[in-house]
Amino acid sequence: MTSNSISRRGFLATGAGGILAATLGARPALAATEVAMQLSWLPSVQFGGSYIAQSRGYWRDLGLRVSLNPGGPNAPVEPPVVAGSALMGISAADYTAAAVAQGAPFRIIAVAMQKNPFVIASLPDKPVNTPKDLEGRKLGMALANTPVLKALCSLNDVDFDAIEIVPTQYDAAPLLAGQVDCLLCWETDLPVAMMMRGLKPVTMLMADYGYAVQSQTYIATEDSIANRRADLIALLRGEIHGWNDYHADPDAAAALTVKMFPDAGLDLETQKLQAARQVPLMFTDATEAHGFGWFSDDSIAANIKTLALLGQNVSADLWDRSLLEEIHAS
Amino acid sequence: MTIALHQLRRRGADRVYPVLSAFLALLAWELLARAFAHTYLIAGPVEISRYLWDHAGLVARAAGITTLAAALGFVLGNLIAIALAVGAVLLPSLARLISALALVVFCLPLVATGPILRVIWGPGLGPQITLAALAVYYTTFLPLMVGLRAAPPSWFDLVRSYGRGRLSALVEVRAMASLPYLFAGLQIAAPAAFLGAMFGEFTGAERGMGVLTIRAMRSLDVAGTWALASTAAAISMLAYGGLGRLSRALNTGPPPLILAPLLDGGRRAGWRALVHPLVVTLVLIAIWWLSMEGAGLSPFFAKRPGDVWAFLITAPEAAAHRATLGAALLETLVLALPGYLLGLALGLGLAIVLVLAPKLARGIMPVAVALRAIPIVITAPLIVVALGRGATGTVTIVALMIFFPSLVACYQGLARTPRQVLDLFDSYAASPLRRMASAQFPAMLPAFFAAARMAVPAAILAATTAEWLATGRGIGGLMALTASTSGYGMLWSAVVVLAAVAVTGYVIVAQIERAVLRIYGAEQLTR
Amino acid sequence: MQADAPPSIQCHDLSRSFGEGAARLDALEPVNLQFAAGETTAIVGPSGCGKSTLLRLIAGLDTPSTGSVRIGGETPLQMRKRAALSVAFQDAALLPWRTVRGNIALARKLARLPPDPAGVDRLIALVGLAGFQDRRPADLSGGMRQRTAIARCLISDPRVLLLDEPFGAVDELTRARLNHELPALWQGRGVTTLLVTHSVSEAVMLSDRVIVLSPRPARVVADIAIDLARPRAPGDAADALIAKVTSALAQSAPTRPHFV
Repeated sequence: MTSNSISRRGFLATGAGGILAATLGARPALAATEVAMQLSWLPSVQFGGSYIAQSRGYWRDLGLRVSLNPGGPNAPVEPPVVAGSALMGISAADYTAAAVAQGAPFRIIAVAMQKNPFVIASLPDKPVNTPKDLEGRKLGMALANTPVLKALCSLNDVDFDAIEIVPTQYDAAPLLAGQVDCLLCWETDLPVAMMMRGLKPVTMLMADYGYAVQSQTYIATEDSIANRRADLIALLRGEIHGWNDYHADPDAAAALTVKMFPDAGLDLETQKLQAARQVPLMFTDATEAHGFGWFSDDSIAANIKTLALLGQNVSADLWDRSLLEEIHAS
Repeated sequence: MTIALHQLRRRGADRVYPVLSAFLALLAWELLARAFAHTYLIAGPVEISRYLWDHAGLVARAAGITTLAAALGFVLGNLIAIALAVGAVLLPSLARLISALALVVFCLPLVATGPILRVIWGPGLGPQITLAALAVYYTTFLPLMVGLRAAPPSWFDLVRSYGRGRLSALVEVRAMASLPYLFAGLQIAAPAAFLGAMFGEFTGAERGMGVLTIRAMRSLDVAGTWALASTAAAISMLAYGGLGRLSRALNTGPPPLILAPLLDGGRRAGWRALVHPLVVTLVLIAIWWLSMEGAGLSPFFAKRPGDVWAFLITAPEAAAHRATLGAALLETLVLALPGYLLGLALGLGLAIVLVLAPKLARGIMPVAVALRAIPIVITAPLIVVALGRGATGTVTIVALMIFFPSLVACYQGLARTPRQVLDLFDSYAASPLRRMASAQFPAMLPAFFAAARMAVPAAILAATTAEWLATGRGIGGLMALTASTSGYGMLWSAVVVLAAVAVTGYVIVAQIERAVLRIYGAEQLTR
Repeated sequence: MQADAPPSIQCHDLSRSFGEGAARLDALEPVNLQFAAGETTAIVGPSGCGKSTLLRLIAGLDTPSTGSVRIGGETPLQMRKRAALSVAFQDAALLPWRTVRGNIALARKLARLPPDPAGVDRLIALVGLAGFQDRRPADLSGGMRQRTAIARCLISDPRVLLLDEPFGAVDELTRARLNHELPALWQGRGVTTLLVTHSVSEAVMLSDRVIVLSPRPARVVADIAIDLARPRAPGDAADALIAKVTSALAQSAPTRPHFV
């Protein structure tokens, strides 16, 4: 085992060398504040802006030393934020609303994906271009997403019962094998995988048909917003800086991601394509006008409406724009 | 001279059969992969080799980190198992409590424990190691409990006759007598540790076999998925074979019959039989509550016994909660039970066939051991993809998970029929079938039931994992959903209910075992 | 300890029963027995009569239902604690992972005595196992195993020797040879010896006194002194005593002729 295959953090967490590492490593870092950000998935260009902020030292310049904790298929995102082991987490409006309903004292303080990345992906010989096309088709999706589909149907006056739902895991193979006609997935993953295999999938972005649920939302606890405001603002500042760089050169972000995570099995071309495809979801007229991460009152209103269709009744109190306002005012 | 030649030829055949069967299996695999190349389901040995060649460094690093976590968990879990078993033997009054607690903790679903462990440990290898340890300790504990008692009474009398007590008996007699049992447990544990470590990576990791597997499955990288599965299986098999070799080198004797101690002594007075589960439950609740409070975990996600009680019993929506949970549980059990029975029946059936046709066994057993070593994380999605997301896929996964351990246990059990008994049947020129029915089958029953008991938690693990990773239905799907949507009240309730179901199933099998062995082999009960 | 004189053994109202109520099984009816210091006493009786139970009670490996055992005024436990007592078991009870030497040395370890490799080798030679020191039990014949077990009994230099059918698993020829060779090893060492056996001839050849027990529940039906000179050899005097013991056994169980 070479030393670079176990990160220092990993070594810390195994406990064996924790005390040693802490006593040896704490001194030079006195100036920087240690904070952690809990990501929502495995390392990929999905978090490209954060990786830029990390590698270009934007946080270091703001007096922070940031750990980017990876997510995964069975990773807790909200609990580390509640527990305080992560200062900020990357969630989504619907997950945040659910957590708040369960008693978590969260606020959404910024939004990375202005448009929800859910799409209906299909193949060109039997395309789904509008929600109406779903009727009579076999749709592969995780059963857990049934409320999402119901919301889309009611927003667009589609007969939910006319869609044949086939429970699938999150995988494009059933579509290619002809087991289903279309898939409910993200704009930025399964369609990318299909394109990398030379296929030309058709995607219908649900956000274009009224499904307004902000994704990759930054969450923090009310307590942190009140008492660790400076750290949160520094964290967001670096993040915004990183994402602005990302916007300027998504390919560079993809290359950086692949370089930073040589063991994550990332493919550069795939990452480039994913990086390009998430740009229109993250950078809109609103962010053009107000800066990365911004959310308007209209966006909040639309989200409240869609969340209600998902069975989640929230008020505008779920959102707290004051930190962004402070950042962009200066 | 002729005898020596015959032996030589036999030994040659012993070597040729596994090689031949492995070659045929590879060939069939390659042909199958080529036939279904367009479906993005299956990759053949050629494609896998190419992938491994191209990505040797990546796979080696991932295998290294996952193996490290698995090995640390393996050591930790087995040390815990040894400590528990030794504790149970040194303090016989606590033995039943320790056994019951060990069983319950083993029955906790990984889907639910993983995220909790990640919160406790933070980033790093903590959850990987812990889950690996949790995955192995019980399969070592159980045979070790038997092994530590697997000595004739006179050996203990010998120790006592010099005025020495339990500690001397442990050191001088039990420790060595239990070694074959320990190694049998360790062998089973090796693939389980790898599985646990991969599950741990799902809770948030930057590298490892689990990370790569998820990535490959999502990016239609069929060659990658299969290459990773093959690597995981190869590592597990190496560990399995290495431990077998070590066991032989230490001269611990042949793999023993795994006769787990029965959960219920059966000779207890009525009130004690009732009190025991109550005591276990109370101790569990105390441990649960104390560990949550001790670690200072937020009640938002770390629910206490009282929270679950409220969620299921006293809250205004409790009835709705129970209905949701009950429906999901039923959906799971309806698939898990047939899979369980099918797996046991197949294991038993094939073991009988293999004993009746020993030549076949030399070819099939190594393949069976190999397949047994492939982690369910990888097999589950593949099988569901291949067989569909309906009942067939899940039932097959459960059956497959149970089939291999049952086959091995039954086969070893059949082989353990006392030589004199077989000679007796031979002296009457009894047919192989007759011999099977009257001598070998009854001799195998204890091994079969031991496998059947161990298969209960395995079946539930398999069913919930299939639901979580593939079908999204049942209680596995419910746990995955509630874990992602902060429905921790439901998640913890599901954990409690699943653990209770697993323990109940285990006790039911133990009762059936008791009833059957009373007819077939009374000596097993008193041993 | 070596200087200790062999103790006498007193069994007072000693009985043992298993189970309770209707399921109660009396293994041994209350017996009163004395065994003189330094004497060898054989206990014979039909199979399953409770001979071994009596021996286990005297060794303190089993707890009596009533009565008590005193060995030179001490309890069996006290005797065991100071390693003044050795038991040879029916099945030799050799640990399969230890060699002949290792099995014998184990007794000194268990008895908390310092290691005595020279003593071990001397005993191995005495019991005729020279050259087999490093073999494991699985490589030994039944007779060799029993001799190893006897050597193990003696290595701790006990004052009381309890032998439970030590040659039970050995063929008749070997048994006769062992009967001839082995007693010399402990007789004359100043040891009080109890020998449980179902072989009448063995009892007569080895002991100073034979106690005949009835079928279960065991009680003493005959107590016969064996006043033969040593070393003993088969002959008329021995045959007469063998006949005497055999007839006592037969009368003890007239309807069940399953004695040897």
